[in-house]
Amino acid sequence: MAAKSPVKEPPGTSAVNPTTPLAPPPVKPELPSSSEPDVVNVPSYSRWFSFDSISECEVKFLPEFFDSRSPSKNPRVYRYYRDSIVKHYRENPSRKITFTDVRRTLVGDVGSIRRVFDFLETWGLINYFASVKTLKWEDKETKSSAASAESSSALKETSKRLCNGCKTLCTIACFACDKYDLTLCARCYVRGNHRVGVSSSDFRRVEISEEARSDWTEKETLQLLEAIMHFGDDWRKVAQHVSGKSEKDCITHFIKLPFGQEFICKESDSEDVDNKFFSINNPSDAVSESENVGATSPSKRMRLTPLADASNPIMAQAAFLSALAGVEIAEVAARAAVTTLSDVDDRASKGSLMRNTRQQEAGVASNGDATQNALARASVDASSLIEKEELDVEKAISGIVEVQVRKILGHFFCHIQL
Amino acid sequence: MKLPATSSSKAPVKFRMPTADNLVPIRLDIETEGQRYKDAFTWNPSDPDSEVVVFAKRTVRDLKLPPQFITQIAQSIQTQLTEFRSYEGQDMYTAEKIVPIKLDLRVNHTLIKDHFLWDLNNYESDPEEFARTFCNDMGIEDPEVGPAVAFAIREQLYEIAIQSVASAREIKISKKGRRGAEHAISSKGGGNALDLMKLFRYNSSVVRKRKEWYVYEPIVDILSNEEVDALEAREDRNTR
Repeated sequence: MAAKSPVKEPPGTSAVNPTTPLAPPPVKPELPSSSEPDVVNVPSYSRWFSFDSISECEVKFLPEFFDSRSPSKNPRVYRYYRDSIVKHYRENPSRKITFTDVRRTLVGDVGSIRRVFDFLETWGLINYFASVKTLKWEDKETKSSAASAESSSALKETSKRLCNGCKTLCTIACFACDKYDLTLCARCYVRGNHRVGVSSSDFRRVEISEEARSDWTEKETLQLLEAIMHFGDDWRKVAQHVSGKSEKDCITHFIKLPFGQEFICKESDSEDVDNKFFSINNPSDAVSESENVGATSPSKRMRLTPLADASNPIMAQAAFLSALAGVEIAEVAARAAVTTLSDVDDRASKGSLMRNTRQQEAGVASNGDATQNALARASVDASSLIEKEELDVEKAISGIVEVQVRKILGHFFCHIQL
Repeated sequence: MKLPATSSSKAPVKFRMPTADNLVPIRLDIETEGQRYKDAFTWNPSDPDSEVVVFAKRTVRDLKLPPQFITQIAQSIQTQLTEFRSYEGQDMYTAEKIVPIKLDLRVNHTLIKDHFLWDLNNYESDPEEFARTFCNDMGIEDPEVGPAVAFAIREQLYEIAIQSVASAREIKISKKGRRGAEHAISSKGGGNALDLMKLFRYNSSVVRKRKEWYVYEPIVDILSNEEVDALEAREDRNTR
């Protein structure tokens, strides 16, 4: 049988499938040789692994061993750790080995050993069986929710890109810098969470495809939005608030929500039309500006970062989301939001506010392309005409009312005189 | 006795472990709710402090210890790290010192006794490498022996380094001038260290005398279960 795909990739979260045995040591660096007749599962994305060499994947994720900063952290020591850990696991593949087992048998400092161990576990080279997934979630609960790095929420079925900044798994899209060989998740990218000397313009956006998750009912979506308004960035709490959805699902769904929904949510909450309008207007103003700026040219992408630092959480969130969603989508979403807002605006009765919207529309129109311009201008003219008519009607009505009042007063005085 | 000029005129260096890696030996011995946890390992002090809690949680989870251990472990590690860091930045005098290191440890079923000389001034030295080679050469099968050996060596080196910091401080306090400094070094260091000059005089050779061989020979014993139990019982009695 062809040695091409001797490893089975278990789909989704299913239980361990029977796999084909490993091929004997091939010329291809695909699989390590195992002299035992046991079957060892290795996920397809870890096909690069070989006892005889170190792949660039390893160099990327564990740079400490390869940058000669410390004399005892060199590739030889790395191989010693890695090979011992993997061999230890493969002696009994059905048993999960713990970090403590391993570090007691390895000579070296426990910090580096732990990082190698976690790396191997994340890539499914050790402790690779279906039950591991539940343990990872358990892990999350015991870990503190402090901002610092090391939570690896790796789900083995999906993509394996880990962010260099916060060491979490990247979903949806990530930003890769080829010059320094860094990968940042969207959040770290927007926050500028990269090494000094690397600028935002060095990064390019990389899509990561997502599997479709289960459907969201309206109730769940509402819960999600509520939770986000209350808890903001704390996805753990958001996931808790929404019944039956995991953190990853919540984030995925939120990103997929049409942008207008964010603001409609705010609308329904507040009562006063004025306040409501102003509050929506201001962030959307800034947001659409930022997104348009971001959308226009890559050289202006730098501006995303200062905005992300703004104390307004909505702007930071919007910047993050627009980075995640990509240039074209952000542009379209911004326009959609603005048109929706202008609809709302028409229903309101204050003339000065309408003028603001018109300016905003004009602003949007000026950023768009030519045909859009013409249409926008036409609509702007139409609405101004309507306004004028309404004013005329109002004047007429008030004139009529005045006349009537005078009539009545006249009658009244007549009666008094009589 | 007059020390050669080089040793006393050596400038004090900043404290660090006299090994290639600046790793700290950490020893844990925690008892809570009737459960005792003993452990020893090496830690890299340049790891961020968040690593301490992560490690504590990981260990508790792996060993299925009750959760109270997490804070205790983390605290103990943190204390030892802080102590180590308090020595950093201070001076230590390192005359040309070759110190004897003694190994006398039991790991599971393996008993190890050894005695050798170590050059304190060799900052490229690597106890981990020594331990790996030792285990390979002696054909030790138990993989837990290596780390224990490395740890024992490191611990002793750490002790000696701390002593040299203390002695450096005393020298400063005594303020007896250069003469006094020489005297202090010779008296403090002389106990452990070997004077190179005495060793390598013209009429002596580098080769060790035959009658001294047994002192420096490594001994590796594999114990039976009963012997292990007996030893463990004695150790417990000693510590309590």
